[in-house]
Amino acid sequence: MARLVVVQQQSQPSFSILTSSLSDFNGTRLHSQIQYKRKVWQPKGALQVTASSEKKILIMGGTRFIGVFLSRLLVKEGHQVTLFTRGKAPITQQLPGESDQDYADFSSKILHLKGDRKDFDFVKSSLSAEGFDVVYDINGREADEVEPILDALPKLEQYIYCSSAGVYLKSDLLPHCEVDAVDPKSRHKGKLNTEAILESRDVNWTSIRPVYIYGPLNYNPVEEWFFHRLKAGRPIPIPNSGVQITQLGHVKDLATAFITVLGNEKAIKQVFNISGEKYVTFDGLARACAKAGGFPDPELVHYNPKEFDFGKKKAFPFRDQHFFASVEKAKHVLGWKPEFGLVEGLADSYNLDFGRGTYRKEADFSTDDMILGKSLVLQA
Amino acid sequence: MLLSRPSPVFSFSVKASAAEKKKVLIVNTNSGGHAVIGFYFAKQLLGSGHEVTIFTVGDESSDKMKKPPFNRFSEIVSAGGKTVWGDPAEVEKVVGGAAFDVVLDNNGKDLDTVRPVADWANSSGVKQFLFISSAGIYKPTDEPPHVEGDVVKADASHVAVEKYIAENCGNWAAFRPQYMIGSGNNKDCEEWFFDRIVRNRPVPIPGSGMQLTNISHVKDLSSMLTLAVENPKAACCNIFNCVSDRAVTLDGMAKLCAQAAGLPVEIVHYDPKAVGIDAKKAFPFRNMHFYAEPRAAKDILGWCSTTHLPEDLKERFEEYVKIGRDKKPMQFELDDKILESLKVPVTV
Repeated sequence: MARLVVVQQQSQPSFSILTSSLSDFNGTRLHSQIQYKRKVWQPKGALQVTASSEKKILIMGGTRFIGVFLSRLLVKEGHQVTLFTRGKAPITQQLPGESDQDYADFSSKILHLKGDRKDFDFVKSSLSAEGFDVVYDINGREADEVEPILDALPKLEQYIYCSSAGVYLKSDLLPHCEVDAVDPKSRHKGKLNTEAILESRDVNWTSIRPVYIYGPLNYNPVEEWFFHRLKAGRPIPIPNSGVQITQLGHVKDLATAFITVLGNEKAIKQVFNISGEKYVTFDGLARACAKAGGFPDPELVHYNPKEFDFGKKKAFPFRDQHFFASVEKAKHVLGWKPEFGLVEGLADSYNLDFGRGTYRKEADFSTDDMILGKSLVLQA
Repeated sequence: MLLSRPSPVFSFSVKASAAEKKKVLIVNTNSGGHAVIGFYFAKQLLGSGHEVTIFTVGDESSDKMKKPPFNRFSEIVSAGGKTVWGDPAEVEKVVGGAAFDVVLDNNGKDLDTVRPVADWANSSGVKQFLFISSAGIYKPTDEPPHVEGDVVKADASHVAVEKYIAENCGNWAAFRPQYMIGSGNNKDCEEWFFDRIVRNRPVPIPGSGMQLTNISHVKDLSSMLTLAVENPKAACCNIFNCVSDRAVTLDGMAKLCAQAAGLPVEIVHYDPKAVGIDAKKAFPFRNMHFYAEPRAAKDILGWCSTTHLPEDLKERFEEYVKIGRDKKPMQFELDDKILESLKVPVTV
């Protein structure tokens, strides 16, 4: 039986610390994005550039990647933020580049609601006991997870859902746009079903569809996969032609997008693709990672995946197809714009994470060796 | 299940001075892929009540005028437009000293050809100078798409023209198109695929077939140009990628053409170097990603694409059959050479 654990909240008013002590991690440009957002959703006639009205916000998840950045922005905005997690991972972790003072301030304000979101009865009772204005659902996968939340919070102002561009039906016509066909059979159909449930209930929902997310603390080995190989001085094995086009979006830009839709009339019952403004080929991404980490131009080895049996292992971190989505709707409708270009963003990730010696998964070059072994034989 | 819902169109309406009718001169090339742009643009302007003169380079009696879109210029005349022919270096003489509000140069690829037209426009009080450039001037990139402002090839001749009009014309705009389909096209595009598909021949595509390109219906281009004419303040001093808002892979184009024809397709990939042929001669599209997005047109003009390749290709195929091209005897020498080297059988 999960217990409600509340972290003691600091009684003194907090000072908004949007100074350069956070610039390593927040970026001063992030600051200006938030100010724009404040102007957007003030009620007419009350246009102020002071603190936006405080909301009581629940984040489902929030301790791993997106939520880590999002929760900080929300706390900085003056909202009361609660993370709903099982407590398996630490509720807070100090970010690389984050000052001790900023981290202490954040830790003292963030609240934790410990529980398993699959325990629907507990979700309903604990949420209705607390009452929340806004829910950010960052880790939801299945539609049935939404219902106890909506049932518990009949006065909910907004349900903001982290969906996925993986819901789009594969197409010969690209980029994927929000109006395009989705694939009810996709691996991400849980996300689609969740969007459908939200649409069918009388709630102000917003759905964000990211593509591949990257940045410091990424637990999905996207950029890390390349960095391991670059650091080891190994060639980069890339399936097929290497001209497949994919798209990466920096986690901080994604967090800003999540802030921008908060209380935003233009986001009500809307879907937004959120990622980088430019796409990248597989070959180009290998080169961009090298540039970002200060490595020399890498040797690329192309191979036919059909000639190998990798078992359960993934030989390459991306879908072997074109996969990218237009973010023009978010730009036009919300005025949001990604701050990070690709090389710049990868450098941010490298400098704050892998380049400091931290990463999530140990290097595993077994599939590489299978590929390289075969290509060496062919060349001999 | 969340089906694709028509979300509110997020284009804004630029204040169009729709009441203001313009006198527009189109200086049009007499051949090639861009020729059809002037034809659609003229018809759209005339439909909106503007006055149009289309000045085709060369002689009215030239054999080139027997091909589309020129052999359909009666449609421009019956809609109230004027047609003239001549040398763009003598534009003032050719238009008989007439005055215009807007000039579109859809002819010149280099400064020597465009300069006389631009200079005459400036000196004769033309208020808006539009230029059809090319998306081919973008430098190849690891990070598609090409967007306005990206680096261009410094030595490309269109670049010199864009620079010149930017420096010398008060109100200018440059449009960078790619490949086009549409009735009246002077150059083959989708026909290349239809020719093979209807004859049950394999479609040889160089490289992986994953190369992305823009194949737009020319209607999208003429609507963008018309929007620029009707919103000169907004359009002023901008570069616009003149393409529709979805790209297609080379394989995808082959598949869509086959679907439009209601026939199967066999795609065969090859390495031009290994086969020993010039891909430029064997295949009508660039053997690389050639992919731009019309972001400036959407941002600045509030332009929207109104075309959809799958449907457009159905219309194109209907016309292809109507004119009897599916029955026309054809040789496929380069195809045969490719297929021979790959040992691919061709069933006749």
